[in-house]
Formats: sequence, C-alpha cells, structure tokens
Amino acid sequence: MGTMSERVVFWYGCNAVRHGDIIHSAIELLRAVGIESDPAGGPAYCCGTAKDGNLDAAAGMAARTVEKFNASGRDKVVTWCPSCHRHAGTFMTGVNTAQFTVSHITEMLHARRHLLAPLLTHAIERRVVLHQHSGFHEVDAYPLIADLLRLVPGLELIVTDYAAPGHMCSALAPHPTALKDVGRRSVELCAENDSDTLVTAFHACQRLLCGLATTDSIRVVNYVNLLVEAMGLTPPPDEYAAWKNAGSEAAIRAQIGPERIARIGAEFFAKQMLPELRKLPEK
Amino acid sequence: MKAETEQLLGYIERNIARTLEDCTTCGKCFEACPMTQYSDQLKGRSGGAVVAGIRSILEGAGGTPEALEWTRLCTQSAKCIPACPENVNPMLMMRLSRITSLGSTGGPAMLPDGKRDPNFFRRINAFSALQFSDAEIAEWQR
Repeated sequence: MGTMSERVVFWYGCNAVRHGDIIHSAIELLRAVGIESDPAGGPAYCCGTAKDGNLDAAAGMAARTVEKFNASGRDKVVTWCPSCHRHAGTFMTGVNTAQFTVSHITEMLHARRHLLAPLLTHAIERRVVLHQHSGFHEVDAYPLIADLLRLVPGLELIVTDYAAPGHMCSALAPHPTALKDVGRRSVELCAENDSDTLVTAFHACQRLLCGLATTDSIRVVNYVNLLVEAMGLTPPPDEYAAWKNAGSEAAIRAQIGPERIARIGAEFFAKQMLPELRKLPEK
Repeated sequence: MKAETEQLLGYIERNIARTLEDCTTCGKCFEACPMTQYSDQLKGRSGGAVVAGIRSILEGAGGTPEALEWTRLCTQSAKCIPACPENVNPMLMMRLSRITSLGSTGGPAMLPDGKRDPNFFRRINAFSALQFSDAEIAEWQR
C-alpha cells in the first residue's frame, strides 16, 4: 500500500450504485495509490444533468451538491461518472462557487501508476478488448485506462479504433438501433480479436453490456475489477451482472434472496427492477 | 423564480448568446455527427440548413423539424467539437438546444422529456439498498 498522502471526496454519481463492486474496487484502488477517499453518491449527490426539462430541479440539485462538497473540507473531488464530470465542469460550477477542484479517477490513478505498478503482481492470463466511446472529451480516459491495464502481468489488451457514439452506452439507450449496433460491434470486435472478454470503463456500459455473457458468451468486466484482481485481491462480486445473466426471474430472485427483496419492497422490485434485470442486450 | 434557478437560466442564456455570436452555420458539426445515420429525416440534409434550425431554436423562434430531430438524436458523441472551425462547442450548443426544446427557458416544449420518470431515483436507491450496507448508505449517500 502507498503512504496516504491525500484525502479527497470520491464522487461516484447516481446510477453507478447499481454496481457496488465497481465503487468498492475504485475506493480500493485510490487507497492503493495513497488517496484516502470520502465516498459520496446516489440521488442525494445528483449533479442534475438528467434534469434538462426541469431547471428548478437541475439548479437545486447542482447547488445542493456543490454546497455539500464545499462543506466537506476536501479541496478535491474525484469523479467516476463522465456525465457528472462534464456537468461539474460546466453547469454546476458555472453557477455555484466551488471551493474544490475536480479530477477524474482515471487521471488520478494514471498519475500515480508508479505506486500501483508494484502492487499488480497477480497474473491475469486473458486477452481482452477495451470497449470505448467517443464522447468524454473532457478527459482522454481510454489511453489512461489502457496504460493502467498494460501494467497487469499476463493481460493482453486489445485497443481497437472503434469508439461508440456518446460518452457511455446509456446515452444510446433512447436510440435502440444505435445501441444494438454497439452490442453487435462489440461482439464482432471480440471475435475478430480472438477474445472472450470485453473491458468497460464506465458503469453504464457495464450495465447495458454485461448481458453479453448470456447472449454471446462474452465476459464483460470493468477495468477497476481487473486491477484489483491483479493486486491479488478478490474483487467484490459483480452482482448486477450475475442477476442479468441468471437466466430466469426465479433465478434472479433466488440470487438476491427474499430478505433483500423485502428490504426494497416486493412490488417495487417486481415492477421497477425485474424488467431491467431481465433485459439482455439486443443486436 | 428561485435564486439558483435564475442563476442557472442566466448561465444558459449567456452560453446561448455566445453560441449565436460565434456559429456561422457552416454545418461541419452536423456532417461530423455519427448519429444522423439513425434518422431517415436527416439523411441527405444540408448541415448548414439543419444548424440554421438549431440557431432558430436557440433564438426562441421555434426551429425546424430537422433541427428538433437532430436535437433529439444527440448523444454527446463529441465528434462535432473538433469539426467546428470557429471553436464553438457544438456539443454544448446541442445541449442548449435540448434544454430550450424541452421548454425549460420559458418557451413552448417542442420535444417530449424522455427522462421524466417518477421512479428514476427510487430505482437507484433500491439498487443501492441491495448492494451497500446501512452504514455505507448512511455515510456515503445522505
């Protein structure tokens, strides 16, 4: 472990909470490079980017979140989500006075990769394709992620010239034909490169593509979990992917278990969550 | 109007004014867009004409059906940004067009708000409850 030299807010955003494994692994990686984080996310820290149709809500959320970060006592906020990062750099801090700077987690890890490299001792003998998008123009995240993954012993990383539109797959969700193209192209890229593993950078791509395990026998894994695995640790289980690939409603229910379903309400689970979990990528 | 909404609206209006000042409707941003292929309505259209429609949306003059369609299709691919010879940020221009088209700046709503979902945040909280401990939720998400 690196010596703790910095304390930051790690702002993982709203929708990333579907992937507790990603958030926990990201915190582990920050710690490994000497950054102690105060994690913050979920709706209580929404940036407001989804509220273009309701400026009262957008403004209120942005103001509230900036205020919380100002009160945190940390002078740096490290983002996970490209939507939050973009919104923070424009609408949020264009209106509210921020007493902090914002960096993306890929920048933080990459800048400290000399601390990470000696910890990546566990070989991962696998050939993987990096899933990319064009839209996160504020941070050139993919070359940074590729550099990090190239530190993993045994890992053969394929970086193609294909970058899907949008900043994450979720941007394409309202456009099913475009999203299908991304799914199809991802499968083709794995086949062309003799790989059975697609590596995602962001949670929304993990959410919308992890079902390729069922439809095309392609394992979809986020880069932070690969890095944690290379540290010789057992990454937290990707439960969301396990549920998506469970195969039936009964299997999903069994995996989650009655106690957790009761915790959120059986009716809400059935109406609002099961349909999402049953939906697999279309091509 | 709440103070923070007024400030946000001011920010949006300033950026609209800057965009209108700098955009020459050359249409290069439209030509660079990877999403236009997904719309029959936009196939073969002149970039300059569609962008003129975007300007019309931003001016509060209603826009054109093609401009609204392009606004609806925008996924923030960022391909338009390096394509712009005037250093306008066309991706931000499209976001401003979306905000205006949704009726958020005081004009009529010309596009449906597909993100209005009363269960959006409830679902997020529910997924969180499945994967985070009570202590983590209390410390990290409140």
